[in-house]
Order: sequence, then C-alpha cells, then structure tokens
Amino acid sequence: MRVPVWRRTTLSVVMIALALIMAVPLYYIVVNTFKTQAEMVASPLALPQQWTFENWGSTLADPGIYQSFGNTLYITVLGVLLQLLVGAMAAYAMLITSSRLARFAAAAMLLGFMIPGQSTLIPLYRTLVGLSLVDNLNGLVLMYLGGSIFCFFLIQGYMRTIPYEVIEAARVDGAGTFQVFWRIVLPLIRPILITVGVFQTMWVWNDFLLPTVFLSTPAKKTVVLEVYSAVSEFTTDWPAFMTVTVIALIPMVIFFVFTQRHIVSGLLAGSVKG
Amino acid sequence: MTSQLATRPAPPAGSVSAKPVTRRRSVEGGWKQIALNRAFLLPAVVVFVFLFIIPLAQSLYWSLTDFTGYSTEANFVGLANYAAIMADPSMLAGLSFTLVFAVGSTLVTTLIAIPLAVQLNKAFAGRSFVRSLWFFPAVPSMAILGLVWGYILSPLPSGVFNTLLNDWFGIDAISWLSDNTLAQGSVILVGVWAQTGWHAVLYVAYLQSIPAEYYEVAKIDGASSRQQFFGITLPLLTPAIVISTFLLLTAGLKVYELPFTLTGGGPGFTTYTITQSIVVSGVGQGRYGLASALAVLFTIAVAVIGFSQLKVASAIGKRFS
Repeated sequence: MRVPVWRRTTLSVVMIALALIMAVPLYYIVVNTFKTQAEMVASPLALPQQWTFENWGSTLADPGIYQSFGNTLYITVLGVLLQLLVGAMAAYAMLITSSRLARFAAAAMLLGFMIPGQSTLIPLYRTLVGLSLVDNLNGLVLMYLGGSIFCFFLIQGYMRTIPYEVIEAARVDGAGTFQVFWRIVLPLIRPILITVGVFQTMWVWNDFLLPTVFLSTPAKKTVVLEVYSAVSEFTTDWPAFMTVTVIALIPMVIFFVFTQRHIVSGLLAGSVKG
Repeated sequence: MTSQLATRPAPPAGSVSAKPVTRRRSVEGGWKQIALNRAFLLPAVVVFVFLFIIPLAQSLYWSLTDFTGYSTEANFVGLANYAAIMADPSMLAGLSFTLVFAVGSTLVTTLIAIPLAVQLNKAFAGRSFVRSLWFFPAVPSMAILGLVWGYILSPLPSGVFNTLLNDWFGIDAISWLSDNTLAQGSVILVGVWAQTGWHAVLYVAYLQSIPAEYYEVAKIDGASSRQQFFGITLPLLTPAIVISTFLLLTAGLKVYELPFTLTGGGPGFTTYTITQSIVVSGVGQGRYGLASALAVLFTIAVAVIGFSQLKVASAIGKRFS
C-alpha cells in the first residue's frame, strides 16, 4: 500500500483530535475532582489553578464507598462464577449426551434467550418477596443466574471445537464424568470461559435495573447505586459527586486495560450468536 | 496448550466411514451413566424454568387479570389491561419514545460507526489509542455515564456545553434536558456517544476479512475511493450491518438506565421508556395486571424484531453466497 506520508499524518491528527473530543466528558469529571465548587463553576474545563485534594479526602473517608465496592464484588464474583459453571455444565451435557430430550431443551432455551429480562421482572420480584430474598445480595445473585443461558450458548459453540477423541481417551483411561469435566473439559475451554466471564462481569458490575428494583437498604448498595444516590446527596456540590463517580470508574478503567482483547473477542462471539 | 486443540483435526482417511452416532453411543454407557450425563444439563434447565418460563407464564396470566398484589384476588378481565395501555398517556409516551430512541440511535450510530471503522482500519500513528478512546464509553455503566452527561448538558453556567457555546459563540444557556425535543435528542446523542466505538470495532473485524486484492483490482480498473466504498466495502459489510443493527435495535428497545439517569423520563413523559413504565407501574405502584400486559407487548416486540432480523440475515446470506 503506497499511502503518502502527509495523508497518513493528516489522518492521524484528525483521528486523534476526534477521539480526544469524544473523551472530553471523561476529562471533565476527572479534572473537576481537583477543584473547589467555586472554581468549577467559574471554569468547568480548565485545569485547576489550585489543585485541591479535599474532595478525594472526604470521599475516601466515607466508609459507604468501601461497603458498596464489597457488595458489588461479592455479587459479581459469585454471580459470574455460578453462571459460567451452570453454562459450562449444560454445554458439556450436550456434548456427551445424544438424548432427544436434551436437544429439545437446548432449542427451547435458545428461544427463551430472546425473552427480555424486563418482561419477567415483576413476577420474579413477587417470587423473591415471597422467599424473603428481596433486599438481599444472594437474592440478586440468584437473579443474575439468568445469564447462564447466554453462557451456555457461547460455551457450547466453542466446545464443539474440542476433539471428541480427547474425551474418549480420558474415559478409556478410567476417568469418570465429573473428572473429565473438571480435569479435561474446563481447562480446554478456558479461552471462552475468560471471554464470556469478562462479558458477564461487565453486565453484573454495571447493572442498574436489578439493584434498583431488588435492593433498598443503603448498606447493601452496589457501586452504581452509590453513584446514583450521590447525585441527590450532593445536589449542589458537583466536585463531590464527580469524585465518587471517578472512584467508581477507576476499577472499570483497570478492567478495560487488562481485558480489552477479551472484550472485543466476546463482542464478536456474542454478535455471531446474535 | 489449548490453541493447538482449538480446531477439530480432520479425521484420518481410513476413519471416514466411522459414524459419529456410534462414537457417541460408546460413551453413553449404561442407564446410570446416561442419567449422570443428563444431570449436567439440570442446573441450566432449572434456571431456565424458574427465571424464564414460569415468570413469563405468570406475566401472561396476570396481563389478563386485575391483579394488584395488595389483594390475593385476581379476576379475569380479558384484554382490558391492553386497552388500558392504549388509553394511558404515560405508557403511550413510553412506547413512542422507546421506538424513537431505538430507531434513532441505531441509524445515527450506524452512520457514524461504518465510516469510523473504515478509517480505523487504515494504518496511522496512534491508532490503538484512538480505538481505545472510542471504545471505552461502552465499558462503564450507562447509568453512571447518564449521570455524568446530566452535568455536561446542565443549563447552569457550570454545564460544559452551555459554557462552550457561550464562550465561543455568545449563545445564551440552552435547556438541553428540559425542552421536549432537545431532551429526546440529548438522550439519543449520549446513546450514540456510548455505542459508536463498540460497533465500529465490530465493523473493523469484518473489514479485516475483506481481501486486499479486491481493492487492488478496483484501483487498477480506476475506481475512485468512493466507488470502492460503495462497490466493495459496503456490500461485503452487509452481514456486519445486519448484526450491528440487530444488536442496536434490541438494546434500544430495552433501554432503561440512560434516560432514567439523564432525564428521569422527563420533561413530562417525553423520554419515558417501556422498561421504566414496567418498573414504575409494576414494582412501584403494584399495578401488576397493567404492567404485565405491557411486559407481554414488549416481549412480542423484541421477538418480532429478533425473528425478522434473522430472516433478513438468512435472505442476505443466500444472496451473497
């Protein structure tokens, strides 16, 4: 490809400029955490004249933020691990069974896949009220198990690439069904488990709908709810709100840096599935 | 260790006659083994029945009753709830803005994402940095981004948009989020901002699968870059367009976080959504019958779009193969 240098440079400059404009909202919330309320009103986009760390100090001194991080971490880790386990087990079952009933179940689940979560929300809410699992982190984890069906389909597609001979050989060597699953299948499908896991982590960690409906006690808030309630808490103190927001975003930035590759491959896998 | 096993090796020439059916049977074994094999499917089936099938059936049933949740009584009322939706201004507003958002954000995102992907597919300094910046807004929670944009679009002097407009063009503060049309446009704008990079990356993946020779031949034939785009790139991107617009449309129909945090559904009900309507009337007000009817309509809408998209996709697949 013979692309002239000046054209490449122009493209570079234009694209970087555009991307930076897109990133202004992110710059805006970060830079204002280092300003006082008065300075922010006077010049919302300028760099702080006097860097202040007061916002950070007071936000980090509030135990609520740590509590909400703990809650979110608990829900996300437990929820995603269970989803992956249930999904991988089902995909494994489809691999080792030739039963028609199983095949029918899988086809039915594919249809159910289209059911949007919001349309089952009200009956599930009433059921969880009945089981006293509302305003309960474990109840929320239970709700997120619905994601296992999505995991099942993505894992199943990948599992077809495992040579059947590998499983058969393990069987001949005397490995039981569980052993084959734990020792052979799970290690072999690690790439898709990571991809799907990253994807589901983003969903559970970021979710707003289910926590707003199912959680009410302040001590059980997730990070997203913490940011949401900060808006009403700091109606006039914008820098304080932005500090909470930036603290909530930091784990997402770190997560993004380390998993970008997997997010993209998950996006493609998910898009192929539809 | 897994990469070399990732593709199923072609069977050796001698074993072609071995049928997969017989191979499966050799592993199935006795009835105990069969039961154990099927037991692995059980957790997924339980999840599916309790989190999808039963609640959906309940929604369907409640949508035909006057169930409120305050009493245990549920009287059959036929299609009265469906008729009530058509008479409820907030629910109608929710239906209409959800459609406006789904179609509007899909169109604008696609129109920006394709040209962006074409540029991102070229080699230039800082490409991965640019790609990451565009992509990043898809990573954090839309609820948080909606709140942040609420400050940016704020009519107060500390809102970024109005400050810039005032500094550069001397325009007075515009109430982005309290004017009916502007509020709808703002929600779509933020949705586009958050999704475009993500979909551009999807298009880039498909662009990379177009053989470079096509463009070289076209160049030799004297095709301009515009002709190349419309003659080669766009037709070959059709599968990607089908997938991307499908994802955008379904995500658009399910939208909840963004309008809720950015505008709260207002002003009035101009940015109210179906999902917000379901949550408010069902969980908030205990009008289970009405909310269930809306949920049923919503499921049908999502399913219709899903199936028609699959049809379009397969029709296109046939045409291009």
